[in-house]
Amino acid sequence: MSVLTLPAQPGQQTAPPPPPVPWRRMVWVTWRQHRATLISVPAVLAAVAVFLVIFGLKAHHDYAALVHCSLNQGQQTQACAQAFRTFNSSDWPLANTCSILMQLAPVLIGAFAGAPLLARELETGTFRFAWTQGVGRERLAIAKLALLAVTLVVLAGAFGELFSWFFQPFLWTEEMNRLTETVFDTSGIVFPAFTLVAFAIGAFLGMLFRRVIPALAATLGVYLAVRLVAWGVRKYYPVAVVTGNTKIFSQFQTPRVPGYPWILSSWVTGPGGQAASPSVANQILNGPPGGSIPPGYTEWNRWIPLSHYWPMQFIEAGWLLVLSIALFAATVSLVRRRAA
Amino acid sequence: MTVFAGVASRAAQGAAAGPRPVPWPGMLWVTWRQHRGLLITVAVGFCVAVAGMLVTGLRIHHDYALLSTCHPAASAACQGLSNFFTSTDWHEGQFVHVAVQAAPVLVAMFAGPPVVARELEARTFRFAWTQGIGRVRWTAAKLALLGSALVLPAFVISQLLTWLYAPFLRTQGLTDLTPTVFDTSGLCYAAWTLVAFCLGAFLGALVRRTLAAMAVTLGSYIGLAALTWFYLRNHYPVKTYWPMQLFEAGWLLILSAALVGGTLWLVRRYAA
Repeated sequence: MSVLTLPAQPGQQTAPPPPPVPWRRMVWVTWRQHRATLISVPAVLAAVAVFLVIFGLKAHHDYAALVHCSLNQGQQTQACAQAFRTFNSSDWPLANTCSILMQLAPVLIGAFAGAPLLARELETGTFRFAWTQGVGRERLAIAKLALLAVTLVVLAGAFGELFSWFFQPFLWTEEMNRLTETVFDTSGIVFPAFTLVAFAIGAFLGMLFRRVIPALAATLGVYLAVRLVAWGVRKYYPVAVVTGNTKIFSQFQTPRVPGYPWILSSWVTGPGGQAASPSVANQILNGPPGGSIPPGYTEWNRWIPLSHYWPMQFIEAGWLLVLSIALFAATVSLVRRRAA
Repeated sequence: MTVFAGVASRAAQGAAAGPRPVPWPGMLWVTWRQHRGLLITVAVGFCVAVAGMLVTGLRIHHDYALLSTCHPAASAACQGLSNFFTSTDWHEGQFVHVAVQAAPVLVAMFAGPPVVARELEARTFRFAWTQGIGRVRWTAAKLALLGSALVLPAFVISQLLTWLYAPFLRTQGLTDLTPTVFDTSGLCYAAWTLVAFCLGAFLGALVRRTLAAMAVTLGSYIGLAALTWFYLRNHYPVKTYWPMQLFEAGWLLILSAALVGGTLWLVRRYAA
């Protein structure tokens, strides 16, 4: 706390403890400096939310008709075929566009909020004033980081829930499930976690580069790298199960329970437990689901059941949170070390 | 051309003396100097993208050649090739495609708004706009140089993507006219890149603040793209690939010209 610029108080042997953080003032300062972000992010999200609700109600309505069709008449009738065509050609393209934009949302929100947070103070020179206030530069930085982070995480969490509801009808028709990369990333607690990590990357790079625009550009790149790492390591989370089958693994799904489980690897053992010859193995692994397997052979699968969605969400959100906290700590440490 | 801040001696030459020719080498140096961060990033990104797409594309074409010559198609070995092609190869193809689709607006967001807004924000316009060349031609030259530095690589990337993606048109039930394919092939991709850049430059001159203009550029571009996808394209007077490409590139070019005109008009009007 050596950086606090308290007035000298002669006569006291030891430095007095720093005064309590004036949180209410910090809220005001944060609001005042970042009101453009704090107004525009909720405004844009609210506008998109209205669209998602309106379009989502239509999609759910169309989907209910599809489910009714396939449960009662099969897909053979003319009306049902028409219903499927409409759903695939008019509802899906728009939903797919929304899904792609949703992939970009965390990094756009995080980068635009995070990169200018400290870089703008340094670029415009206002840090000379801001950092010499009684509250201290570290606590000022922590307060701004914390307030914006909490706001963004809450907004992203609520928006992610809405999007998951909106996207739900498309899982079955597009052969996706809750573990599909793009769906997993935009649902549950992983979506706000990605938003948080994008914000933390932006704030850290802003403090490192001390310039807003280069920090913003670099945030896009670093976030992409984090996302690719997440996609790469996901299958190694300790949630997979291994099962052996005497019938070819049946990847069934119904309109009520959409989605296949995520099969990580498959192999075949012959009688006696040794690996089957490649030709037999190929025949079994590429055979029709539910088909029979020659006696003595077993098809093994290492797979993640859909019911393991929440453990996976907690693991991924967990390491993203740890990464964010590390980045926040590095940012505050850079603030402390920067010669004012 | 009343905005030229020519030296007094030129006024003595009379009205007949038109403006001197644009000193292109000089403006080339200025543009490079002011935007070298962007230009280096674009050049490096372009080289990495071309290398990556060549490697991926050659593998995809190789796998597709194996698959299409595999007999009999129902055999387990052919099924294995087919599964690999429609999962791993298709997955990578989609990833490249989405990245290419997102690139124009992400690059233009960083290239367009600073052209005018940063001069205003950093107050360098007081120096830049009082040079002999005049503020309108100063801005026009920078727009032309930066615009070509973005549009030419974009055209190359789109042709490369069309080659990389060709096998999937046969296996994944896509056509030339599928919106995502149409956007990234022919002339459209370069035209969309140009319009994104001009939109950024115009909004930079209008909003006068780089960061805010970047965010607005992103929003307007997405709005324009969505409008085109879901409404405008269904109302084109032509329905086949090349006429549609020419029509779309045409109106995008006109829009870009209008945005450049708007930018120059704003620059000219701005009280220095």
